[in-house]
Amino acid sequence: MTDERFFTRLAEKTDAVSGAADRAPARLKSRLYSALVAEQAAAGPLRSLPATKAAGHPLCVFEHVLHVVPNERIVSMNPCRVCHARVLAEHFESPPIYWPHCPYVDFQRR
Amino acid sequence: MPPETSSAADSAGRTARLGAPEPSSEDQALLAAVLAKDRKAAAEFVARYADAVYAYVSRRLAPRADLVEDVVQDVFLVALQKLATFAGQSSVVGWLLGIARHKVEDVYRARLREPDPLPDEDDMPSARPAVTPNLDDLIDAARAEEKTRQILERLPVAYSAALQWRYWEKQSVREMAAQTGKTEKAIERLLARARTSFRRLWEAS
Repeated sequence: MTDERFFTRLAEKTDAVSGAADRAPARLKSRLYSALVAEQAAAGPLRSLPATKAAGHPLCVFEHVLHVVPNERIVSMNPCRVCHARVLAEHFESPPIYWPHCPYVDFQRR
Repeated sequence: MPPETSSAADSAGRTARLGAPEPSSEDQALLAAVLAKDRKAAAEFVARYADAVYAYVSRRLAPRADLVEDVVQDVFLVALQKLATFAGQSSVVGWLLGIARHKVEDVYRARLREPDPLPDEDDMPSARPAVTPNLDDLIDAARAEEKTRQILERLPVAYSAALQWRYWEKQSVREMAAQTGKTEKAIERLLARARTSFRRLWEAS
């Protein structure tokens, strides 16, 4: 078997292998989500929490409290930025966070 | 090669097959919601696609696991910037893997440009002289994958990057030379030494 054929075949074989290591850590997913939302928030207000809820997305307990505030700036802010769930989720693979509809909690389960 | 082409996804191997040729209506709705800055859509975007991007990047950047998470994050931030121009001519996974491919190639390019003196063959981990590998060694793909990963970890970074770029990314020698500012001869020499070192370790393990 020539070198070229050996390495070509090896690449094909090894690319076909799947494994548990192919799943992104929940910690990384948390970082990605935080980075995306921070990037969007830096460029202007996020979709408001009432609009998010109206689109069929359930809110976490903290977002639920904020979404009734009659202030457009507040309902469009990013409360995850100051939430301890974010900090824990970005640094630990199985953090002690359990709130329903929190994206950081959902990343642990998926 | 533009990142959105299906060949980029093809080169990503198994993960590329997760994607349909074009985004489904569900995917399109998700992308529209992300563009509308819906935070829950951003979470779903990450949950849906992070595994595929991570699997691809982590395989291509082995043994430099320390770079993987930063590269994956770069991929998602670039995707967010380009989302409005995504024409939907490929699957979302294929599109993301195309971006990932460019990011991985940035790393390969940097490794091959580093003034990192390569060891003489005598300095490489001891092993028997290279011989033609037995085909049976390739039958068990999972074992081959693990063995390959271990060998790539032991090789100098320029060797592992050159092999991964040439054979796993299917990049031509000419293009590797153009992207690194080296001559094709220099790339061929590098690849020859990398192949020899790899095969010695393959046979020895």
